[in-house]
Amino acid sequence: MNDENNIYKDDGFIIETKDLKKYYKDGTIKALDGVSISVKPGEVVVIIGPSGSGKSTLLRSLNLLEIPTEGEVLFRGVDISAKHVNINLHRQKMGMVFQHFNLFPHKTILQNMTLAPIKLLKKTKEEAEKKAIELLQKVALADRADAYPSQLSGGQKQRIAIVRALCMEPEVMLFDEPTSALDPELVGEVLDVMKNLAKEGMTMLCVTHEMGFAKEVADRVIFMADGVIVEEGTPGEIFTSPKNPRLQQFLQSIL
Amino acid sequence: MKEKFIELKEEFVLNFIDGGRWKWLVDGLGNTLIITLFATLIGALIGVIIATVRSTYDKNFETLQKNGGIGYYVMKVLNGICKVYLAVIRGTPVVIQLLIIYFIVFAKSNNDLFIAIFAFGVNSGAYVAEIFRGGIMSIDNGQFEAGRSLGFNYVQTMIYIVIPQTIKTVLPTLCNEFIVLLKETSVAGYVGIMDLTKAGDLIRGRTFSAFMPLIAVALIYLTIVLILTKLVSILERRLRRSER
Repeated sequence: MNDENNIYKDDGFIIETKDLKKYYKDGTIKALDGVSISVKPGEVVVIIGPSGSGKSTLLRSLNLLEIPTEGEVLFRGVDISAKHVNINLHRQKMGMVFQHFNLFPHKTILQNMTLAPIKLLKKTKEEAEKKAIELLQKVALADRADAYPSQLSGGQKQRIAIVRALCMEPEVMLFDEPTSALDPELVGEVLDVMKNLAKEGMTMLCVTHEMGFAKEVADRVIFMADGVIVEEGTPGEIFTSPKNPRLQQFLQSIL
Repeated sequence: MKEKFIELKEEFVLNFIDGGRWKWLVDGLGNTLIITLFATLIGALIGVIIATVRSTYDKNFETLQKNGGIGYYVMKVLNGICKVYLAVIRGTPVVIQLLIIYFIVFAKSNNDLFIAIFAFGVNSGAYVAEIFRGGIMSIDNGQFEAGRSLGFNYVQTMIYIVIPQTIKTVLPTLCNEFIVLLKETSVAGYVGIMDLTKAGDLIRGRTFSAFMPLIAVALIYLTIVLILTKLVSILERRLRRSER
Protein backbone atom coordinates (compact mmCIF):
# COMPACT_ATOMS: atom_id res chain seq x y z
CA MET A 1 0.00 0.00 0.00
CA ASN A 2 2.81 2.40 0.92
CA ASP A 3 4.68 1.76 -2.30
CA GLU A 4 1.59 2.70 -4.23
CA ASN A 5 1.22 5.95 -2.34
CA ASN A 6 4.79 6.93 -3.04
CA ILE A 7 3.94 7.81 -6.60
CA TYR A 8 2.01 10.84 -5.40
CA LYS A 9 3.72 14.22 -5.26
CA ASP A 10 1.35 16.04 -2.94
CA ASP A 11 1.54 19.74 -3.63
CA GLY A 12 -1.24 21.04 -1.45
CA PHE A 13 -3.98 20.19 -3.94
CA ILE A 14 -5.88 16.93 -4.21
CA ILE A 15 -7.26 17.58 -7.68
CA GLU A 16 -6.13 19.99 -10.34
CA THR A 17 -6.93 20.42 -13.99
CA LYS A 18 -4.76 22.38 -16.35
CA ASP A 19 -6.35 23.96 -19.39
CA LEU A 20 -8.67 21.01 -19.85
CA LYS A 21 -10.35 20.73 -23.24
CA LYS A 22 -12.89 18.25 -24.53
CA TYR A 23 -13.94 18.49 -28.16
CA TYR A 24 -16.46 16.36 -29.99
CA LYS A 25 -16.87 15.87 -33.70
CA ASP A 26 -13.44 17.21 -34.68
CA GLY A 27 -13.70 20.32 -32.57
CA THR A 28 -17.06 21.59 -33.79
CA ILE A 29 -18.53 20.97 -30.33
CA LYS A 30 -16.46 22.24 -27.42
CA ALA A 31 -17.78 20.72 -24.21
CA LEU A 32 -14.78 22.01 -22.28
CA ASP A 33 -12.71 24.83 -23.67
CA GLY A 34 -9.79 25.33 -21.33
CA VAL A 35 -10.79 24.71 -17.72
CA SER A 36 -8.31 24.97 -14.86
CA ILE A 37 -9.36 24.24 -11.30
CA SER A 38 -7.54 23.27 -8.15
CA VAL A 39 -9.13 21.70 -5.12
CA LYS A 40 -7.55 21.44 -1.69
CA PRO A 41 -8.09 18.44 0.60
CA GLY A 42 -11.26 18.86 2.63
CA GLU A 43 -12.74 21.44 0.30
CA VAL A 44 -16.34 21.21 -0.88
CA VAL A 45 -16.68 22.60 -4.38
CA VAL A 46 -20.04 22.94 -6.06
CA ILE A 47 -20.21 23.36 -9.82
CA ILE A 48 -23.30 25.08 -11.23
CA GLY A 49 -24.32 26.24 -14.65
CA PRO A 50 -26.95 25.92 -17.36
CA SER A 51 -27.34 22.58 -19.13
CA GLY A 52 -24.72 22.03 -21.80
CA SER A 53 -22.24 24.22 -19.96
CA GLY A 54 -19.76 21.37 -19.59
CA LYS A 55 -20.07 20.92 -15.82
CA SER A 56 -20.78 17.19 -15.99
CA THR A 57 -18.07 16.72 -18.60
CA LEU A 58 -15.62 18.45 -16.25
CA LEU A 59 -16.59 16.24 -13.32
CA ARG A 60 -16.42 13.07 -15.42
CA SER A 61 -13.00 14.10 -16.73
CA LEU A 62 -11.61 14.12 -13.21
CA ASN A 63 -11.65 10.32 -13.02
CA LEU A 64 -11.19 9.95 -16.76
CA LEU A 65 -14.63 8.56 -17.51
CA GLU A 66 -14.45 11.31 -20.08
CA ILE A 67 -11.11 11.43 -21.87
CA PRO A 68 -9.97 15.00 -22.36
CA THR A 69 -8.87 16.08 -25.80
CA GLU A 70 -6.18 18.34 -24.35
CA GLY A 71 -4.89 19.41 -20.97
CA GLU A 72 -4.03 17.58 -17.78
CA VAL A 73 -5.84 16.13 -14.81
CA LEU A 74 -3.70 15.90 -11.68
CA PHE A 75 -4.63 13.75 -8.72
CA ARG A 76 -2.38 14.47 -5.73
CA GLY A 77 0.18 15.96 -8.07
CA VAL A 78 0.27 13.07 -10.55
CA ASP A 79 -0.90 13.56 -14.11
CA ILE A 80 -3.48 10.79 -14.38
CA SER A 81 -4.54 11.81 -17.89
CA ALA A 82 -1.12 10.91 -19.30
CA LYS A 83 -0.64 7.89 -21.53
CA HIS A 84 -0.11 4.49 -19.90
CA VAL A 85 -1.23 5.58 -16.44
CA ASN A 86 -3.00 2.79 -14.57
CA ILE A 87 -6.14 4.81 -14.05
CA ASN A 88 -7.85 1.97 -12.17
CA LEU A 89 -5.58 2.44 -9.14
CA HIS A 90 -6.37 6.15 -8.97
CA ARG A 91 -10.09 5.60 -9.45
CA GLN A 92 -10.13 3.43 -6.33
CA LYS A 93 -9.34 6.60 -4.38
CA MET A 94 -11.99 8.69 -6.14
CA GLY A 95 -15.57 7.82 -5.34
CA MET A 96 -18.25 8.72 -7.82
CA VAL A 97 -22.01 9.08 -7.51
CA PHE A 98 -24.17 9.22 -10.61
CA GLN A 99 -27.46 10.85 -11.46
CA HIS A 100 -29.07 7.48 -12.13
CA PHE A 101 -27.51 5.67 -9.14
CA ASN A 102 -26.13 2.81 -11.28
CA LEU A 103 -26.47 0.21 -8.57
CA PHE A 104 -25.85 -3.35 -9.76
CA PRO A 105 -29.34 -4.82 -10.15
CA HIS A 106 -28.19 -8.45 -9.93
CA LYS A 107 -26.59 -7.98 -6.52
CA THR A 108 -28.00 -7.25 -3.09
CA ILE A 109 -27.26 -3.96 -1.35
CA LEU A 110 -24.57 -5.61 0.74
CA GLN A 111 -23.03 -7.26 -2.33
CA ASN A 112 -23.13 -3.95 -4.17
CA MET A 113 -21.11 -2.43 -1.37
CA THR A 114 -18.62 -5.23 -0.75
CA LEU A 115 -17.82 -6.28 -4.33
CA ALA A 116 -15.10 -3.70 -4.97
CA PRO A 117 -13.47 -3.80 -1.50
CA ILE A 118 -13.23 -7.59 -1.66
CA LYS A 119 -11.94 -7.80 -5.22
CA LEU A 120 -9.78 -4.67 -5.35
CA LEU A 121 -8.69 -3.90 -1.79
CA LYS A 122 -8.38 -7.64 -1.06
CA LYS A 123 -10.44 -7.32 2.10
CA THR A 124 -11.98 -10.45 3.55
CA LYS A 125 -15.71 -10.83 3.19
CA GLU A 126 -16.14 -10.26 6.95
CA GLU A 127 -14.07 -7.07 6.98
CA ALA A 128 -15.87 -5.68 3.96
CA GLU A 129 -19.30 -6.51 5.35
CA LYS A 130 -18.47 -5.01 8.73
CA LYS A 131 -17.49 -1.75 7.08
CA ALA A 132 -20.56 -1.85 4.84
CA ILE A 133 -22.94 -2.39 7.75
CA GLU A 134 -21.35 0.50 9.64
CA LEU A 135 -21.94 2.77 6.69
CA LEU A 136 -25.47 1.46 6.18
CA GLN A 137 -26.24 2.33 9.79
CA LYS A 138 -25.03 5.86 9.18
CA VAL A 139 -27.55 6.30 6.39
CA ALA A 140 -30.26 4.41 8.29
CA LEU A 141 -30.53 1.60 5.77
CA ALA A 142 -28.97 -1.30 7.67
CA ASP A 143 -32.28 -3.17 7.55
CA ARG A 144 -32.15 -3.22 3.74
CA ALA A 145 -28.76 -4.94 3.46
CA ASP A 146 -30.22 -8.04 1.83
CA ALA A 147 -32.68 -6.24 -0.44
CA TYR A 148 -32.13 -5.81 -4.17
CA PRO A 149 -31.86 -2.33 -5.68
CA SER A 150 -35.21 -2.72 -7.46
CA GLN A 151 -36.90 -2.92 -4.04
CA LEU A 152 -35.67 0.52 -2.95
CA SER A 153 -36.94 4.05 -3.54
CA GLY A 154 -34.85 6.50 -5.54
CA GLY A 155 -33.63 8.29 -2.43
CA GLN A 156 -32.63 5.01 -0.83
CA LYS A 157 -30.83 3.95 -3.99
CA GLN A 158 -28.82 7.14 -4.07
CA ARG A 159 -27.88 6.84 -0.39
CA ILE A 160 -26.69 3.30 -1.14
CA ALA A 161 -24.75 4.56 -4.15
CA ILE A 162 -22.98 7.07 -1.88
CA VAL A 163 -22.04 4.51 0.75
CA ARG A 164 -21.02 2.03 -1.94
CA ALA A 165 -18.45 4.57 -3.09
CA LEU A 166 -17.43 5.23 0.53
CA CYS A 167 -16.71 1.53 1.06
CA MET A 168 -13.59 2.04 -1.04
CA GLU A 169 -12.42 4.69 1.47
CA PRO A 170 -11.93 7.32 -1.23
CA GLU A 171 -9.96 10.53 -0.74
CA VAL A 172 -12.35 12.56 -2.84
CA MET A 173 -16.00 12.16 -3.81
CA LEU A 174 -17.42 13.24 -7.16
CA PHE A 175 -21.17 13.84 -7.37
CA ASP A 176 -22.74 14.12 -10.81
CA GLU A 177 -26.19 15.67 -10.29
CA PRO A 178 -26.98 13.26 -7.46
CA THR A 179 -30.50 14.55 -6.84
CA SER A 180 -31.64 15.35 -10.38
CA ALA A 181 -33.40 12.03 -10.95
CA LEU A 182 -35.21 12.07 -7.61
CA ASP A 183 -38.75 12.96 -6.70
CA PRO A 184 -38.69 16.31 -4.87
CA GLU A 185 -39.64 14.81 -1.51
CA LEU A 186 -36.68 12.41 -1.65
CA VAL A 187 -34.03 15.03 -2.35
CA GLY A 188 -33.64 16.01 1.30
CA GLU A 189 -32.55 12.60 2.56
CA VAL A 190 -29.75 12.43 -0.01
CA LEU A 191 -28.57 15.98 0.65
CA ASP A 192 -28.47 15.22 4.39
CA VAL A 193 -26.08 12.36 3.75
CA MET A 194 -23.92 14.62 1.64
CA LYS A 195 -23.94 17.37 4.28
CA ASN A 196 -22.77 14.92 6.93
CA LEU A 197 -20.05 13.74 4.64
CA ALA A 198 -18.89 17.32 4.13
CA LYS A 199 -18.89 17.88 7.90
CA GLU A 200 -16.65 14.85 8.34
CA GLY A 201 -14.10 16.60 6.15
CA MET A 202 -14.50 14.68 2.90
CA THR A 203 -13.21 16.46 -0.19
CA MET A 204 -16.20 16.81 -2.47
CA LEU A 205 -16.88 18.06 -5.96
CA CYS A 206 -20.54 18.27 -6.78
CA VAL A 207 -22.44 19.19 -9.91
CA THR A 208 -25.91 20.13 -8.78
CA HIS A 209 -28.94 22.32 -9.24
CA GLU A 210 -29.59 22.44 -5.50
CA MET A 211 -28.63 26.03 -4.73
CA GLY A 212 -29.65 25.60 -1.09
CA PHE A 213 -27.05 22.86 -0.74
CA ALA A 214 -24.44 25.03 -2.45
CA LYS A 215 -25.12 27.98 -0.12
CA GLU A 216 -25.06 25.89 3.00
CA VAL A 217 -22.23 23.45 2.40
CA ALA A 218 -19.92 24.69 -0.33
CA ASP A 219 -16.58 26.31 0.42
CA ARG A 220 -16.46 27.44 -3.17
CA VAL A 221 -18.90 27.67 -6.04
CA ILE A 222 -17.85 27.47 -9.69
CA PHE A 223 -20.17 28.81 -12.35
CA MET A 224 -19.64 27.38 -15.84
CA ALA A 225 -21.08 28.30 -19.20
CA ASP A 226 -20.13 27.24 -22.73
CA GLY A 227 -17.29 25.04 -21.56
CA VAL A 228 -15.44 27.63 -19.51
CA ILE A 229 -15.45 28.85 -15.92
CA VAL A 230 -17.23 32.18 -15.96
CA GLU A 231 -17.03 33.02 -12.28
CA GLU A 232 -15.98 31.35 -9.06
CA GLY A 233 -15.99 32.32 -5.44
CA THR A 234 -17.50 31.69 -2.04
CA PRO A 235 -21.24 31.02 -1.94
CA GLY A 236 -21.69 34.54 -0.58
CA GLU A 237 -19.85 36.09 -3.52
CA ILE A 238 -21.64 33.99 -6.09
CA PHE A 239 -25.18 34.18 -4.78
CA THR A 240 -25.37 37.63 -3.18
CA SER A 241 -23.05 39.66 -5.36
CA PRO A 242 -22.63 37.97 -8.74
CA LYS A 243 -20.52 40.05 -11.10
CA ASN A 244 -20.83 38.37 -14.47
CA PRO A 245 -24.06 39.07 -16.37
CA ARG A 246 -24.31 35.40 -17.44
CA LEU A 247 -24.30 34.36 -13.80
CA GLN A 248 -26.78 37.08 -12.83
CA GLN A 249 -29.10 35.90 -15.58
CA PHE A 250 -28.68 32.26 -14.57
CA LEU A 251 -29.43 32.95 -10.92
CA GLN A 252 -32.48 34.99 -11.83
CA SER A 253 -33.87 32.21 -13.96
CA ILE A 254 -33.59 29.55 -11.26
CA LEU A 255 -34.34 31.35 -8.03
CA MET B 1 -60.87 -50.45 -42.00
CA LYS B 2 -59.38 -53.55 -40.52
CA GLU B 3 -57.40 -54.19 -43.68
CA LYS B 4 -55.98 -50.70 -43.51
CA PHE B 5 -54.92 -51.29 -39.93
CA ILE B 6 -53.20 -54.54 -40.77
CA GLU B 7 -51.43 -52.83 -43.64
CA LEU B 8 -50.13 -50.13 -41.30
CA LYS B 9 -48.99 -52.72 -38.81
CA GLU B 10 -47.05 -54.56 -41.51
CA GLU B 11 -45.48 -51.31 -42.60
CA PHE B 12 -44.46 -50.59 -39.04
CA VAL B 13 -42.94 -54.03 -38.55
CA LEU B 14 -41.12 -53.79 -41.85
CA ASN B 15 -39.66 -50.37 -41.15
CA PHE B 16 -38.82 -50.52 -37.48
CA ILE B 17 -38.88 -54.10 -36.16
CA ASP B 18 -37.33 -56.16 -38.96
CA GLY B 19 -33.57 -56.24 -38.73
CA GLY B 20 -33.79 -54.11 -35.59
CA ARG B 21 -34.06 -51.00 -37.71
CA TRP B 22 -35.44 -48.96 -34.80
CA LYS B 23 -31.93 -49.10 -33.42
CA TRP B 24 -30.77 -47.04 -36.38
CA LEU B 25 -33.10 -44.29 -35.30
CA VAL B 26 -31.86 -44.52 -31.73
CA ASP B 27 -28.23 -44.34 -32.85
CA GLY B 28 -29.06 -41.51 -35.21
CA LEU B 29 -30.85 -39.59 -32.49
CA GLY B 30 -27.86 -40.16 -30.21
CA ASN B 31 -25.51 -38.67 -32.78
CA THR B 32 -27.83 -35.75 -33.43
CA LEU B 33 -27.95 -34.94 -29.73
CA ILE B 34 -24.19 -35.34 -29.25
CA ILE B 35 -23.43 -33.10 -32.23
CA THR B 36 -25.94 -30.47 -31.08
CA LEU B 37 -24.80 -30.46 -27.47
CA PHE B 38 -21.07 -30.16 -28.11
CA ALA B 39 -21.52 -27.82 -31.05
CA THR B 40 -23.54 -25.56 -28.76
CA LEU B 41 -20.75 -25.58 -26.18
CA ILE B 42 -18.14 -24.73 -28.82
CA GLY B 43 -20.48 -22.14 -30.29
CA ALA B 44 -21.08 -20.52 -26.90
CA LEU B 45 -17.34 -20.38 -26.21
CA ILE B 46 -16.51 -18.86 -29.61
CA GLY B 47 -19.51 -16.56 -29.34
CA VAL B 48 -18.56 -15.14 -25.94
CA ILE B 49 -14.95 -14.56 -27.01
CA ILE B 50 -15.94 -12.85 -30.26
CA ALA B 51 -18.62 -10.76 -28.58
CA THR B 52 -16.15 -9.67 -25.89
CA VAL B 53 -13.52 -8.68 -28.44
CA ARG B 54 -16.02 -6.80 -30.57
CA SER B 55 -17.69 -4.91 -27.73
CA THR B 56 -14.34 -4.18 -26.06
CA TYR B 57 -13.17 -2.61 -29.28
CA ASP B 58 -16.37 -0.62 -29.72
CA LYS B 59 -16.53 0.59 -26.14
CA ASN B 60 -12.84 1.39 -25.61
CA PHE B 61 -12.06 2.79 -29.01
CA GLU B 62 -11.27 6.24 -27.62
CA THR B 63 -8.88 4.97 -24.94
CA LEU B 64 -7.19 2.57 -27.33
CA GLN B 65 -6.69 5.30 -29.87
CA LYS B 66 -5.28 7.69 -27.29
CA ASN B 67 -2.81 5.20 -25.83
CA GLY B 68 -1.90 4.02 -29.32
CA GLY B 69 0.97 1.56 -29.50
CA ILE B 70 0.71 -2.18 -29.81
CA GLY B 71 -2.56 -2.60 -27.87
CA TYR B 72 -4.45 -0.51 -30.38
CA TYR B 73 -3.18 -2.49 -33.35
CA VAL B 74 -3.71 -5.86 -31.66
CA MET B 75 -7.33 -4.95 -30.94
CA LYS B 76 -7.79 -3.56 -34.43
CA VAL B 77 -6.51 -6.79 -35.99
CA LEU B 78 -8.54 -9.01 -33.62
CA ASN B 79 -11.66 -7.00 -34.32
CA GLY B 80 -11.00 -7.30 -38.05
CA ILE B 81 -10.61 -11.09 -37.81
CA CYS B 82 -13.88 -11.34 -35.89
CA LYS B 83 -15.68 -9.26 -38.48
CA VAL B 84 -14.42 -11.44 -41.34
CA TYR B 85 -15.41 -14.61 -39.45
CA LEU B 86 -18.92 -13.28 -38.83
CA ALA B 87 -19.33 -12.17 -42.43
CA VAL B 88 -18.13 -15.47 -43.91
CA ILE B 89 -20.07 -17.76 -41.58
CA ARG B 90 -23.28 -15.81 -41.73
CA GLY B 91 -22.95 -15.24 -45.45
CA THR B 92 -22.59 -18.86 -46.59
CA PRO B 93 -24.88 -21.89 -46.20
CA VAL B 94 -24.11 -24.27 -43.37
CA VAL B 95 -24.00 -27.23 -45.78
CA ILE B 96 -21.18 -25.61 -47.75
CA GLN B 97 -19.30 -24.91 -44.52
CA LEU B 98 -19.75 -28.53 -43.47
CA LEU B 99 -18.53 -29.84 -46.84
CA ILE B 100 -15.52 -27.53 -46.83
CA ILE B 101 -14.55 -28.49 -43.29
CA TYR B 102 -15.09 -32.20 -44.02
CA PHE B 103 -13.44 -32.49 -47.43
CA ILE B 104 -10.82 -29.72 -47.27
CA VAL B 105 -9.93 -28.67 -43.73
CA PHE B 106 -10.05 -32.10 -42.10
CA ALA B 107 -9.60 -34.16 -45.28
CA LYS B 108 -7.19 -36.52 -43.53
CA SER B 109 -9.26 -37.09 -40.38
CA ASN B 110 -11.57 -40.07 -39.93
CA ASN B 111 -13.36 -38.81 -36.86
CA ASP B 112 -16.60 -37.82 -38.58
CA LEU B 113 -18.47 -36.98 -35.41
CA PHE B 114 -15.74 -34.61 -34.27
CA ILE B 115 -15.71 -32.90 -37.66
CA ALA B 116 -19.46 -32.39 -37.54
CA ILE B 117 -19.27 -31.00 -34.00
CA PHE B 118 -16.50 -28.64 -35.08
CA ALA B 119 -18.33 -27.48 -38.20
CA PHE B 120 -21.64 -26.83 -36.45
CA GLY B 121 -19.85 -25.26 -33.49
CA VAL B 122 -17.98 -22.82 -35.70
CA ASN B 123 -21.23 -22.03 -37.47
CA SER B 124 -23.22 -21.52 -34.31
CA GLY B 125 -20.46 -19.37 -32.78
CA ALA B 126 -21.15 -16.61 -35.27
CA TYR B 127 -24.80 -16.43 -34.34
CA VAL B 128 -24.17 -16.71 -30.61
CA ALA B 129 -21.58 -13.92 -30.91
CA GLU B 130 -24.12 -11.51 -32.28
CA ILE B 131 -26.74 -12.53 -29.70
CA PHE B 132 -24.21 -11.98 -26.94
CA ARG B 133 -22.90 -8.73 -28.35
CA GLY B 134 -26.44 -7.44 -28.53
CA GLY B 135 -26.84 -8.44 -24.88
CA ILE B 136 -23.66 -6.67 -23.79
CA MET B 137 -24.55 -3.53 -25.71
CA SER B 138 -28.05 -3.53 -24.20
CA ILE B 139 -26.68 -3.20 -20.66
CA ASP B 140 -26.94 0.43 -19.57
CA ASN B 141 -23.63 2.24 -19.97
CA GLY B 142 -24.04 3.45 -16.40
CA GLN B 143 -23.25 -0.09 -15.25
CA PHE B 144 -19.87 0.07 -17.00
CA GLU B 145 -19.22 3.51 -15.58
CA ALA B 146 -20.16 2.48 -12.05
CA GLY B 147 -17.79 -0.49 -12.29
CA ARG B 148 -14.97 1.56 -13.75
CA SER B 149 -15.44 4.39 -11.26
CA LEU B 150 -14.97 1.94 -8.38
CA GLY B 151 -11.60 1.04 -9.86
CA PHE B 152 -12.39 -2.17 -11.73
CA ASN B 153 -10.55 -2.54 -15.01
CA TYR B 154 -12.46 -3.31 -18.17
CA VAL B 155 -12.19 -7.09 -17.89
CA GLN B 156 -13.21 -7.13 -14.20
CA THR B 157 -16.17 -4.88 -14.98
CA MET B 158 -17.24 -7.32 -17.66
CA ILE B 159 -16.83 -10.41 -15.46
CA TYR B 160 -18.38 -9.13 -12.23
CA ILE B 161 -20.99 -6.70 -13.50
CA VAL B 162 -21.85 -6.83 -17.17
CA ILE B 163 -21.69 -10.50 -18.18
CA PRO B 164 -23.86 -11.79 -15.29
CA GLN B 165 -26.55 -9.34 -16.35
CA THR B 166 -26.04 -10.16 -20.02
CA ILE B 167 -26.44 -13.89 -19.46
CA LYS B 168 -29.77 -13.28 -17.83
CA THR B 169 -31.05 -11.30 -20.79
CA VAL B 170 -29.68 -13.56 -23.53
CA LEU B 171 -30.21 -16.99 -21.97
CA PRO B 172 -33.64 -17.60 -23.56
CA THR B 173 -32.31 -16.50 -26.96
CA LEU B 174 -29.29 -18.78 -26.54
CA CYS B 175 -31.55 -21.71 -25.76
CA ASN B 176 -33.53 -20.97 -28.90
CA GLU B 177 -30.26 -21.00 -30.82
CA PHE B 178 -29.69 -24.49 -29.41
CA ILE B 179 -33.09 -25.56 -30.75
CA VAL B 180 -32.31 -24.12 -34.18
CA LEU B 181 -28.98 -25.93 -34.18
CA LEU B 182 -30.69 -29.23 -33.36
CA LYS B 183 -32.65 -28.97 -36.59
CA GLU B 184 -29.71 -27.66 -38.59
CA THR B 185 -27.62 -30.73 -37.79
CA SER B 186 -29.99 -32.68 -40.03
CA VAL B 187 -27.66 -31.89 -42.93
CA ALA B 188 -24.87 -33.92 -41.29
CA GLY B 189 -25.86 -36.78 -43.59
CA TYR B 190 -24.23 -34.86 -46.44
CA VAL B 191 -20.86 -36.06 -45.23
CA GLY B 192 -22.05 -39.54 -44.36
CA ILE B 193 -22.69 -39.07 -40.68
CA MET B 194 -25.52 -41.21 -39.39
CA ASP B 195 -27.68 -38.65 -37.61
CA LEU B 196 -31.41 -38.95 -37.05
CA THR B 197 -32.36 -37.70 -40.51
CA LYS B 198 -29.84 -39.96 -42.22
CA ALA B 199 -31.08 -42.94 -40.20
CA GLY B 200 -34.65 -42.38 -41.36
CA ASP B 201 -33.47 -41.99 -44.92
CA LEU B 202 -31.43 -45.19 -44.72
CA ILE B 203 -34.51 -47.11 -43.58
CA ARG B 204 -36.47 -45.63 -46.49
CA GLY B 205 -33.76 -46.75 -48.90
CA ARG B 206 -33.76 -50.25 -47.46
CA THR B 207 -37.52 -50.83 -47.22
CA PHE B 208 -38.63 -48.72 -50.20
CA SER B 209 -41.37 -47.28 -48.03
CA ALA B 210 -41.07 -43.58 -47.29
CA PHE B 211 -44.05 -42.75 -45.13
CA MET B 212 -43.26 -44.46 -41.83
CA PRO B 213 -39.54 -43.66 -41.41
CA LEU B 214 -39.76 -40.05 -42.53
CA ILE B 215 -42.84 -39.25 -40.45
CA ALA B 216 -41.22 -40.98 -37.47
CA VAL B 217 -38.11 -38.82 -37.83
CA ALA B 218 -40.21 -35.68 -38.13
CA LEU B 219 -42.18 -36.61 -35.02
CA ILE B 220 -39.01 -37.21 -33.02
CA TYR B 221 -37.62 -33.79 -33.98
CA LEU B 222 -40.95 -32.16 -33.23
CA THR B 223 -41.24 -33.80 -29.83
CA ILE B 224 -37.75 -32.73 -28.77
CA VAL B 225 -38.24 -29.20 -30.06
CA LEU B 226 -41.58 -28.86 -28.29
CA ILE B 227 -40.13 -30.09 -25.01
CA LEU B 228 -37.15 -27.74 -25.28
CA THR B 229 -39.36 -24.80 -26.23
CA LYS B 230 -41.49 -25.46 -23.19
CA LEU B 231 -38.39 -25.56 -20.99
CA VAL B 232 -37.18 -22.27 -22.44
CA SER B 233 -40.48 -20.58 -21.70
CA ILE B 234 -40.38 -21.84 -18.11
CA LEU B 235 -36.82 -20.51 -17.84
CA GLU B 236 -37.91 -17.18 -19.28
CA ARG B 237 -40.67 -16.85 -16.73
CA ARG B 238 -38.29 -17.72 -13.88
CA LEU B 239 -35.78 -15.11 -15.00
CA ARG B 240 -38.45 -12.46 -15.30
CA ARG B 241 -39.74 -13.26 -11.84
CA SER B 242 -36.31 -12.90 -10.24
CA GLU B 243 -36.12 -9.37 -11.59
CA ARG B 244 -38.78 -8.27 -9.17
